Amino acid sequence: MLEENGGMRPENLVWVFGTARTGSSWLSAIMGEVGGYSRWHEPLVGHLFGNLYYERAGHRSEDAHFILGARYRELWLGTIRRFVLDSAAARFPGIAAKGGGYLIIKEPQGSMGAPLLMEALPESRMILLVRDPRDVVASNLDAHKGGTWTADLMRKGGKEKPPSLAESRPDAFVKGQARRYVRDVGNAKKAYDAHGGLKVLVRYEDLRTDTLQTMKRIYSELEMPVEEADLARSVEKHSWEKIPSEQKGEGKFHRKAKPGGWREDLTARQAEIVEGVAGSLLRELYPVRSTA
Amino acid sequence: MPVFRHPKVSGAARRIRAVLGLEAGVTRGALVERTGTDGRSAGGVAPENMIWIFGTGRTGSTWLAAMMEEPEGHDVWFEPRVGTIFDPQRFQRHGGKHFILASQYKDVWLRSIRNFILDGANARFPELDGGYLAVKEPGGSVGAGLIMEALPESGMVLLIRDPRDVVASWLDATRKGGWQTRRRGEGGRRAESLAETNPNAFVRRHADAYLQHVGSARRAYEAHEGRKVVVRYEDLRADTLGTIKRMYGELNVPVEEAKLVKAVEKHAWENIPEEEKGRGKFYRKATPEAWREDLTRRQVKTVERITAPLLEEFYPTGPAEQRG
Repeated sequence: MLEENGGMRPENLVWVFGTARTGSSWLSAIMGEVGGYSRWHEPLVGHLFGNLYYERAGHRSEDAHFILGARYRELWLGTIRRFVLDSAAARFPGIAAKGGGYLIIKEPQGSMGAPLLMEALPESRMILLVRDPRDVVASNLDAHKGGTWTADLMRKGGKEKPPSLAESRPDAFVKGQARRYVRDVGNAKKAYDAHGGLKVLVRYEDLRTDTLQTMKRIYSELEMPVEEADLARSVEKHSWEKIPSEQKGEGKFHRKAKPGGWREDLTARQAEIVEGVAGSLLRELYPVRSTA
Repeated sequence: MPVFRHPKVSGAARRIRAVLGLEAGVTRGALVERTGTDGRSAGGVAPENMIWIFGTGRTGSTWLAAMMEEPEGHDVWFEPRVGTIFDPQRFQRHGGKHFILASQYKDVWLRSIRNFILDGANARFPELDGGYLAVKEPGGSVGAGLIMEALPESGMVLLIRDPRDVVASWLDATRKGGWQTRRRGEGGRRAESLAETNPNAFVRRHADAYLQHVGSARRAYEAHEGRKVVVRYEDLRADTLGTIKRMYGELNVPVEEAKLVKAVEKHAWENIPEEEKGRGKFYRKATPEAWREDLTRRQVKTVERITAPLLEEFYPTGPAEQRG
């Protein structure tokens, strides 16, 4: 690996990969609240590079002219490394300073590029955050209907949300989301398996069942210091129960937080679609829960 | 230390390689020299000696690049696709300060983009010390704006062609047996069949792509304060030598006229073997306004409606129906 340019230390970066609607906002909020930790909320750097490498021009990897070609892999991985470290240092100068703590990078929607990022930053820590794909798809199905939080988000950005397949062709929407799950979680899992550094696999369901204990396991396996009292306070602050009732429910960002809720949300056909598309990951990540 | 030299190859072999996207024999050694902390090239390719060719596919960029590669001390980086990475439209809804390309940190990431490109160029063309590197990047035109902003010293060619001819060329290439269909099939990818199953939808899609690519390149051209030139495919066909001389003149790149004459001659349409030309082939017609034979009236109207802003600017003779 190439020499460091100074600034942010790669071992102080903690990447959270998976996919959207796996509880990454919740997890990163808890971690970012603890003293000595900050949160970088979805830089999408994984999407920036992963999209071209895996989707747009994956067939050109053996072409020496291709900017992400195999022949120059070491070179461009070094450039991606600098890209991330320079950007992180500019945003979080306190952490870039010597002994400045840890930066939690919530990057579920950049998980497509997780293998590239973790290869470029092998000293970094990694959290693979997963959730039952049927619950993930059910959550997205709810989110993309008319008048929901995703429409509000777009409106804040000055745009109207276009009609979604979630309403006009829900089964097709479910299939598309299941494919997205396979793309994101599949690549995040590949990165996790290949990563030789500190890493931990976290299931959303375990976080819901025993948040504090699961959080303690994360810090322990990643060998990061944390005061238990601080952690307990943050877990309490960000608990489901503390979210005001009017901010929870159908069509809201905080919806159910209920593992297995897909049984109420998806039709039998839709559950079958997800199991068909994401079956391999489902069996691997949820060996006991893979059947309806 | 030089680690890789992109070898010169003969015209025919280069054309084939270019079309198929294959590399020639190359070797690799240790780590390459990298850009300095000031973002300047540490050797090899100087940013002011880079000439970016933006536009869209099927505008004659392969032909132009082949001619630009001929003079001594000139080389071509063939479709790095770096512009595709830095397509701002892809992230329109991610405008927050946390986004990696957030405007608040533009100076940081523009420097990263600059290093990314110069590192890549230096690794591939280490022996081009003081020479010129044309970057054929029509497929990455969506990122032209950020690339030219990151490399303001570089020259830029906005290469355009009548969108009706561009779409007609894609339609031919992507039909059953067309060169693009064969290429996709060989790469194990799904062969595009919309050209066969729904040609009108195909035409609409490619007109949209033209607007997106050439529109992005056009905006980059407008914003670029350095050396730049618009080159029309039709002018290249009508007077290749005169157009190339004008191009180099406006880019302030000194090239011996005798070398240009030789390059133009070598890559002339007439010198492409007959069996490599024709319907379904990469070298198809090279006839401006051939869309009159290739597209239906409805398809022509579709292209004219979608690409109107660019068509009016670069081909201001009015829509087809007014011209008879």
